[in-house]
Amino acid sequence: MAVNGRQRGMADPPRRHGWSLRSYIALFMAVLLGVAGLAAFSVRLMSEQDARQAAIADANFAARAASTQIANDLVLLQETTAKLAANPQIAAVLAAPAGACSLSFSPAGHLDVINRDGTVKCSSQARPSGPVYEAVAWLPAALLGPVTAGPFLDPVSGNVSAVVASPVAGGLGTVVAIIFMAPLGAGLASALGGARHLEFLVTTQDGEAVLTRSSNPDRWVGAPLTGTSFGSTSGPVRRTDLDGTNRLYGWSMVDATGWTVFAGADEASALSSAYLSANRFLVIILAGVAAMSLVVVVVYRRVAEPVRRLSLVMRGSAPGSALGIVGTGAREVTDLAEDFDHLMATVKRELAERLNSEQEAVVSERNYRTLFEGHPQPMWLYDMETLAFLEVNDAAVQRYGYSRDEFLAMKITEIRPEQDVPKLLEVIGQPLPAFDKTGPWRHRLKDGNSVQVLITSHAVTFGDHVARFVLAEDLTESERLELELHQSQARAESAAELSRAKDEMVSMVSHEMRTPLASIVGFTELLVTREVTAVQRKEYLGVMLQEGHRLTALINDFLDLRRIEGGHLTMRFAPADISALLKRALDLFSDPAHAPIETNFEADLPLVRADGDSIFRVIANLVSNARKYSPGGGAIVVGAKVNDGMVEVSVRDEGLGIPLESLNHLFHKFYRVDTADRRTIKGTGLGLAISKNIVEAHGGKISAFSKGLGKGSTFVFTIPTVRDQAHTGDVLVVEDDSGFARLLEAELAARGLSSVWAADAETAEHLMTTNGARAVVLDLLLPGLSGEAFLQRLRKRHGPGVPVVIVTLKDIDAAASLVLQKAGVTAVLRKGPGMAEAAANLIVKSLVPELVAT
Amino acid sequence: MRSRTPTGLLALRTVLIADDEPSMRLLVHATIESDDYTVIEAVDGAEAWAMIQQHKPSLVLLDVQMPGQTGLDVLRLVKADPDLIGTRVILLTSKAQESDVEKGLIAGADFYLTKPFSPLDLLTRVDEALQI
Repeated sequence: MAVNGRQRGMADPPRRHGWSLRSYIALFMAVLLGVAGLAAFSVRLMSEQDARQAAIADANFAARAASTQIANDLVLLQETTAKLAANPQIAAVLAAPAGACSLSFSPAGHLDVINRDGTVKCSSQARPSGPVYEAVAWLPAALLGPVTAGPFLDPVSGNVSAVVASPVAGGLGTVVAIIFMAPLGAGLASALGGARHLEFLVTTQDGEAVLTRSSNPDRWVGAPLTGTSFGSTSGPVRRTDLDGTNRLYGWSMVDATGWTVFAGADEASALSSAYLSANRFLVIILAGVAAMSLVVVVVYRRVAEPVRRLSLVMRGSAPGSALGIVGTGAREVTDLAEDFDHLMATVKRELAERLNSEQEAVVSERNYRTLFEGHPQPMWLYDMETLAFLEVNDAAVQRYGYSRDEFLAMKITEIRPEQDVPKLLEVIGQPLPAFDKTGPWRHRLKDGNSVQVLITSHAVTFGDHVARFVLAEDLTESERLELELHQSQARAESAAELSRAKDEMVSMVSHEMRTPLASIVGFTELLVTREVTAVQRKEYLGVMLQEGHRLTALINDFLDLRRIEGGHLTMRFAPADISALLKRALDLFSDPAHAPIETNFEADLPLVRADGDSIFRVIANLVSNARKYSPGGGAIVVGAKVNDGMVEVSVRDEGLGIPLESLNHLFHKFYRVDTADRRTIKGTGLGLAISKNIVEAHGGKISAFSKGLGKGSTFVFTIPTVRDQAHTGDVLVVEDDSGFARLLEAELAARGLSSVWAADAETAEHLMTTNGARAVVLDLLLPGLSGEAFLQRLRKRHGPGVPVVIVTLKDIDAAASLVLQKAGVTAVLRKGPGMAEAAANLIVKSLVPELVAT
Repeated sequence: MRSRTPTGLLALRTVLIADDEPSMRLLVHATIESDDYTVIEAVDGAEAWAMIQQHKPSLVLLDVQMPGQTGLDVLRLVKADPDLIGTRVILLTSKAQESDVEKGLIAGADFYLTKPFSPLDLLTRVDEALQI
């Protein structure tokens, strides 16, 4: 389902967040073009303005230069004429009635000597006859003093001219230089116009007529300026010249004559160069824009397009591999595509695997359920803690007559006949093997009938329950007989096996026993048959005694081991305070000849489920070994801590150590590490084997560690803690004799009272604190903390409300009896036949007020 | 009790006791101790073989079950050494199985005794072995 959802998700249109890369590129291009256009426009504008200003500056300069030149020329002509006028030859010419003379003059125009009536007496050109200059306005003034005037129409040439005159002394006449105005413009243009194509225009003082022009010098000269833009100097710089061309003008006055000299730059030509440079710039900008566009296009094609395609592939809109679709993108993009392909491949593979495994899981679950439900034999699962049914199959429902719901509300004890329940609880209370086949058992059906079944069970984890899976096989009579036959065969086989093992054992034991026996028998014979000295006798008897002890220990150990192995030594598991047990065991070793044994117990150790005497024996064995195999002394540390739901007890020494190859054999019967330094250390070789059996019977493990010879060794065993702390009894039985405790429990149970047994006062205290009890049966002779001390503490902590019945072998004198009475003891019984029953009755009686009250 | 007849032909003979059990060594030592023999002891097979090579004893009383080299191992070494051709060997075994006895006799032991044994019996065997 999840996969489908994902595919639907992939088909959804992609969410829009902001612009696409395309839009960004378009925007970028638009902005780029705008900026380029603006730049081109402003460059054009600026260069236009620059060109205009440069042209105006040129024009102004040229105009000033032209007016200065004209003024200078006039001054020069003035000097020339003055020099001539001062010449006595000129005066002579004027004085003579006739006569020929000639003058030379290079500028366009002519140099004349004129008499008073206006007749040319001498000229630089062909001399006109008659008083040609009689009527000119300037003549009277020229006879009197120097004159510079113009324009006037030269009557000789008919040209518009200017005149510079110097009088000849005595009023005889005057020397005049007539300058034609028309060529002046061209001259100015050639001298000052330069490459700028300046037009020079000289106008009269009143601005009414053109004196000269550099372009089309013939037109307009002498013509009136009325109606043109040159009527006055005031006016815009930009004017249309007389031919209609737009020009930019500068102007300047010639002071001597009052003429105005205009210099005009051709605006179009000035601007054309500006436009040229602006256009060049524009070309550069365009080239730049084109280059940028190219780059953008390339980037787009190599990045944006591949990314878009990649996105299509990712959305699943395009088939195939991302790398193939993306094609030739930028390296980062192809890398990305490759990564994506890789990722997709992984995702697809894992998805497929998960899908497969999910399908398999579904199929296998269905299969198993079918197996379970459809199995013809009754099967169920129950919780190991609560013993409640967790699952039952159809066959169980049919066979037992309970509905499924009724089953699930029951515990497995409820389908047993009542008398079988204790046996069942005992079996379940032991650590069960992972797989177990037991039977026949009796099961009760809903209709009250009972059937015989064979139970096959194994441990499973069901959800978070520690559970057991049970298959109940119905036994018909013939099957039962067959089973019995099988069992007897199996027994026979195992008996054969056992007998083989026994033979081996016997041979080993016979060897172990023969050695001490040989000494005893041999020395006895020597003593009987020979005369020996007193010293020898003592020595022999010493050896015999020692070997006798050795034989006894060996036989004891061996018998113990046989009992434990054969399951004949019944363990009485009860809650026990492990640290009290350890302390009591260590008291055995408080020998002043040795350094005290160090302890390292974790605080608040939980109660363990133990047969106190057996565990005591294990501890004593390990500590005694530690001391035995530390001939050079060294610390011995006994530790206890909680580890993984178990209490872990360790005994560490700094003694001889254990070679690596021996670690595996240590717990085998009669195995002893054989090195020269431990030949003299006595032992039966059975202690560790016994310890191992005891620890394993408790559901714990024992192991040995050593870093090698001479490096000490550590023995560690684990012992389960009391799992069900809430399990509580009505009566707390504090009694170190397990047999009597059992008797008491049975008597109490017969009166409907449950009980919890504590083998010592420390455990009893622990149990009172954690679980409490309604009454206590107490022995006074207890290992460790005494019964009296326990009683005092009980009263102190829990008040006088709990009835206490004392059953003990201890002789109680009057004083002690008084103390006990003060402590509110219900009764003191002397342990003996019938006393368990009596104690139980007293307990019931003492609880009656409480029962009535409730 | 015991009639000892030093022949004069016989030099003082050396008897080696090899047993890992001190009490057994003491018993054997006490049983055969006399002016006729020098008794030396070894605590395991390796020491026994070293002492056999060094002292060349006339008789070796070998415990079969010893740590390390067993009595049978030492016996085979003795029988394989031509220098020790005159060395007698009596096995002491605590194993009742006949297979061990057989193995010992095949390997060349002169006699064997099963623990527990009678010291007088042992003495007889020792005397016998040394008078051959």
